[in-house]
Amino acid sequence: MTYAIEIESVTKDFPLPVRGRKLRAVDSLSLQVESNVIYGLLGPNGSGKSTTIKLLLGLLKTTEGRCLINGKSVYEPSIRNEVGYLPEAPYYYRFLTGIELVVYFARLQGIKKREALAQAENLLFRVGLEDAKDNRIGTYSKGMLQRVGLAQALVGDPSLLILDEPIAGVDPIGAVDIASLIRELKEQGKTILLCSHLLSQVEALCDRVAILESGRLLAEGPLDKLLVSEEEKTLSIKNLDTEDRERMVKTAISLGGQVSVSRISLETLYLQLIGEKQRKAKLEREDSDQ
Amino acid sequence: MKWSAARAGLIAGNTFREAIRMKLFLLMLILATAAFASSFLFKEFNFGSSELKFIADFGFGGMTLFGPILAIIVSAQLFIGEIEHRTALTILAKPLYRSEYVIGKFVGSWLITMCFIALLSICLIIALWIRESSIIQADSEAFTTGRIINWIQVCAFALVQVLKLSMLCSLVALFSSYATSTIFAMSMGFLVWIAAQLQYIASDAWSAGSNWLYTVLFAFASLVLPNFHLFEIGDYLALGETIKLVAYLKLALYAIVYTAFYLSLAVVAFNRREF
Repeated sequence: MTYAIEIESVTKDFPLPVRGRKLRAVDSLSLQVESNVIYGLLGPNGSGKSTTIKLLLGLLKTTEGRCLINGKSVYEPSIRNEVGYLPEAPYYYRFLTGIELVVYFARLQGIKKREALAQAENLLFRVGLEDAKDNRIGTYSKGMLQRVGLAQALVGDPSLLILDEPIAGVDPIGAVDIASLIRELKEQGKTILLCSHLLSQVEALCDRVAILESGRLLAEGPLDKLLVSEEEKTLSIKNLDTEDRERMVKTAISLGGQVSVSRISLETLYLQLIGEKQRKAKLEREDSDQ
Repeated sequence: MKWSAARAGLIAGNTFREAIRMKLFLLMLILATAAFASSFLFKEFNFGSSELKFIADFGFGGMTLFGPILAIIVSAQLFIGEIEHRTALTILAKPLYRSEYVIGKFVGSWLITMCFIALLSICLIIALWIRESSIIQADSEAFTTGRIINWIQVCAFALVQVLKLSMLCSLVALFSSYATSTIFAMSMGFLVWIAAQLQYIASDAWSAGSNWLYTVLFAFASLVLPNFHLFEIGDYLALGETIKLVAYLKLALYAIVYTAFYLSLAVVAFNRREF
């Protein structure tokens, strides 16, 4: 079976200024990522996530082991036709406009000028930058930079996307949009390697995760399995009327269970309030335009 | 995947566009133009035909001084600045060879210095033409054989400067290919510029070498560094001497060999570089 990503016993050492000493950023890491999954790469700062990504992109050379993408060596430049990469905190040419930047990256991939322009228009629309496409990147906010970065990563319709903190700096509404786009990309058959510190986002999106610490793999597997604890069995019940709910509570208590009222997360409340407000404002604008 | 000149060209085009939009280019152009335009201040004193040599010297001086400064700053800034800002990561994650990136960056930087020299040359030619016309009107007897300024020679001087700057741009590309900061690449660029201006001293010492150690050292310096002194043809031209075509071709070959040598080293260093 050919995996979208195969990391075979990879070790990466960086030499330190002190003679003979080295820093081991990745330590005997082995991972296989199947096609058409959203795969989360988690870990604290310095755990080796970014190094692993750079190894996959051929920007770093392995000290030991090898990395393959779709069964081919990552050092073969043509393999990068199949990979889209969104770096963490991207910094692009401030003097280019959004559309010029995406066209530039498209043309680097050998796409003809007219087709590159069409793709850039379409991708900037998909990431919600259609109104700012002609603005200079120097005027973009952090969130807009993430979006334009996502657009350039999608250029050429790659089968594998490596997204390093795709939602960092994006407002909650934008984060939901990007999350939907990532799900949509999965539905289109793409494989997504997602690196993020936002665990709620990873939990909501990923099929499988790998957790790294000091360059070593701590845990790996499908989220459904990793998140189920054998000792703690919690049930969530919805859609009962008041009478049935009270009866259920009484039964649960009589059986020795603990009952607590669930509450929505801050993120949900924010989305409800701000999202509703923005939706109303948009409707009002549309009405006044008509 | 084949090596693609089109991809290198795209990188060169983008580098050129970035440099044009950099205020530094404009500043250098204004500075250089102002420097040799100031030679017009002397029009209160009519030096006759020797004044034209004076203006030409000012123009040549502007190209000789500001051209290399621009070449070093722009090459270092556009090459390593992109690595420092991590923009290079996104580009190198695209399907391209690193050699395409290096060549593209070099060509883009060289193009900008070419534009600079071309604009200065145009300004110089216009200035000389205006001044020559006014001197002819005032003292036509001094120009009985017609106009004395040879525009082709001004263009030849500019072309030779462009060749010299190709070597300097490739040298800065070499330093940038392994440097970790723009300051380092620029400092090395300025250092080598000065060393290359004085290379003929090492060359002479090599020829006259008595001690084997010095001979080896001077031979190494003479071979590794280009001799920029060979490209200082302004004095010959200003004196009205004609330089044969074969001499220009020799200079072109010299510049091509050194540029190719430095770029090859830059490609090797950049291929080994980790990000």
